[in-house]
Amino acid sequence: MYISPRRLGVYAVALAFAIVMNFTVPRLMPGSPVDAMIAQLGPRATPAAIEAIKARFGAVEAPITAQFLDYLKGLATLDLGVSVKYYPQTVTEVLARSTLWTLFLVVTAITFSLVVGTLLGAIAAWRRGGRFDTVVSPFSVVMIAVPPVIIALSALFVFGVSLRWFPVGYAYDPSLDPGINFTFAGSVFYHAILPVLTLSPYLIGEFQTTMRSSMISVLGEDYVTMGRAKGLTAATVMLGYGARNAMLPVLTNLALMLGAVFGGSIVTEIVFNYPGLGLTLFTASVARDYPVIQGQLLLMTLATLGANLLVDIIYGVIDPRLRDASA
Amino acid sequence: MMSGLKILLQQKKAVAGLIIIVALCLMALFAPVIAPGAPSARVGRSHQPPTVEHVFGTTKMGRDVYTQFVWGSRTSLAVGFATGIAITIVGTAIGLIAGYAGGRTDAALDLATNAVLVIPNIPLLILLASFAGTVGPLAIMAIIALTSWPWGARMTRSQTMALRNRDFVTAARMIGEPAWRVLFVELLPNLLPLIGINLVGSIIYAVVAQTTLEYLGFGDPLQVTWGTMLYNAQNSSAIILGAWWDIGAPAAGIALIGLGLALVNFTFDEIANPQLRSGPALTRWLRLNRQRNRSLGGAR
Repeated sequence: MYISPRRLGVYAVALAFAIVMNFTVPRLMPGSPVDAMIAQLGPRATPAAIEAIKARFGAVEAPITAQFLDYLKGLATLDLGVSVKYYPQTVTEVLARSTLWTLFLVVTAITFSLVVGTLLGAIAAWRRGGRFDTVVSPFSVVMIAVPPVIIALSALFVFGVSLRWFPVGYAYDPSLDPGINFTFAGSVFYHAILPVLTLSPYLIGEFQTTMRSSMISVLGEDYVTMGRAKGLTAATVMLGYGARNAMLPVLTNLALMLGAVFGGSIVTEIVFNYPGLGLTLFTASVARDYPVIQGQLLLMTLATLGANLLVDIIYGVIDPRLRDASA
Repeated sequence: MMSGLKILLQQKKAVAGLIIIVALCLMALFAPVIAPGAPSARVGRSHQPPTVEHVFGTTKMGRDVYTQFVWGSRTSLAVGFATGIAITIVGTAIGLIAGYAGGRTDAALDLATNAVLVIPNIPLLILLASFAGTVGPLAIMAIIALTSWPWGARMTRSQTMALRNRDFVTAARMIGEPAWRVLFVELLPNLLPLIGINLVGSIIYAVVAQTTLEYLGFGDPLQVTWGTMLYNAQNSSAIILGAWWDIGAPAAGIALIGLGLALVNFTFDEIANPQLRSGPALTRWLRLNRQRNRSLGGAR
């Protein structure tokens, strides 16, 4: 296992950037977010709550460095503050509730799209210039350009409202008790179909495009010609010799796209009223629940960095050249 | 550059894309002619389906969807294009400087590029937008441009690094041309295809990001744009009520501009990277190669 110190430096800077943004943006904005939040709390604005919010958003008499150190201390102890909308729940509690649903949605969509997208890309490269390629490849590029909002709204209208094939909201049938049984799992699966299919076109498009161009250059390599010369079946050469090695750029791209996937899931969850992080972020932004919005950015940054790190590790395992470099 | 344009016009996909883009721009430009009347005037009953009088139906507030669609294209396209240009300028400048300067400047800029690249964009946009309250088109432009330059910077940097040690650059440096001249007069023209791809990609991204922000309610509700149209339609439960035209018109507009730009970008990609070519271009190239081989006396 090997990760370059350079990459770790990038992750450290990204995390620091997110933290500094969270700290400075509320302090730079015109008008006082603190007053807005206290107004939002209304009758629940106990002195303790007001104090906590003031300390967090810089409406206290303390030098800026001391405020920043306090803020860092809070983060280190996983104290992200209290939610304004769901007071007295803390931000950590609010986010924990919805994280699993988003994770489920995003992981399912990525897995599905990875299989479909790379396969489409591999076939398009294998038959470059053929009918399959000339139809599928431009279509993929178009899929990347269509905002998830449009796909989500169209899917909701056609399959949810008009045809009534799929439910139009929630992660499972509200009349069911959550539990580990087939009825509940089936309901979860059924409710996830439309959101996953909404997230997928963008991902499939990206994977197809990357896979196609990477596969085209791999197919020019001598060992592919060699495989063909040995008389191996087309499928073996295409998948075992070509696709396997063409996967590396796709993985790099996957890591870079995670931020966009989270963006897409935010919109998808809002349209389908799916109780994940995106919907939480939306309700938080409508209610001007700043602590939750900040916690969200931090959590999503951490998730993206974690996934990037994971891809770095996987990359080292499957690319023998990197393994040798570390030895 | 002229030859690039010529190749572009030979490609059916690119021509189709350009036609879509130009048509939408003309519609925005001539909005007062093709859709006279104020877009926010109440002219009918609530949620009327399309009729001869209101070709795209009406919104919940009884406003004409067609008029809103035509006028909304103005801000949506202007912000999309302007933001795309801003992203491209920032990305190209940072990539050029990093790739040309090398050393510590490069290390610092590359670190910043990669760091901003891994931070999820939309949550960051939402953080900035929600603290700023509702934001006008200019603020949306600034927010998007500040968070989405790294893609272009990365591409430009690696291309600049490949070019900086070529003879013509060394020669320019030897005769004592100042750094800015080497960058903008010698290097920049060689990066034009890349900048083209970056620009079209950035406009696509800007349109998507702008729509998303406005759909989430961060736009200025008094401005008529395709994004705020979606937001208003969503808020008046247009979909559940079956008023598909209310959502369909702005959605179609955004999908169309995305389609047009994607078609152009696909062709740009093929021009800059001939290896990726498929279809007629590839067949032409194969035929050309075969002819060349034959003219060499059939020595194969």
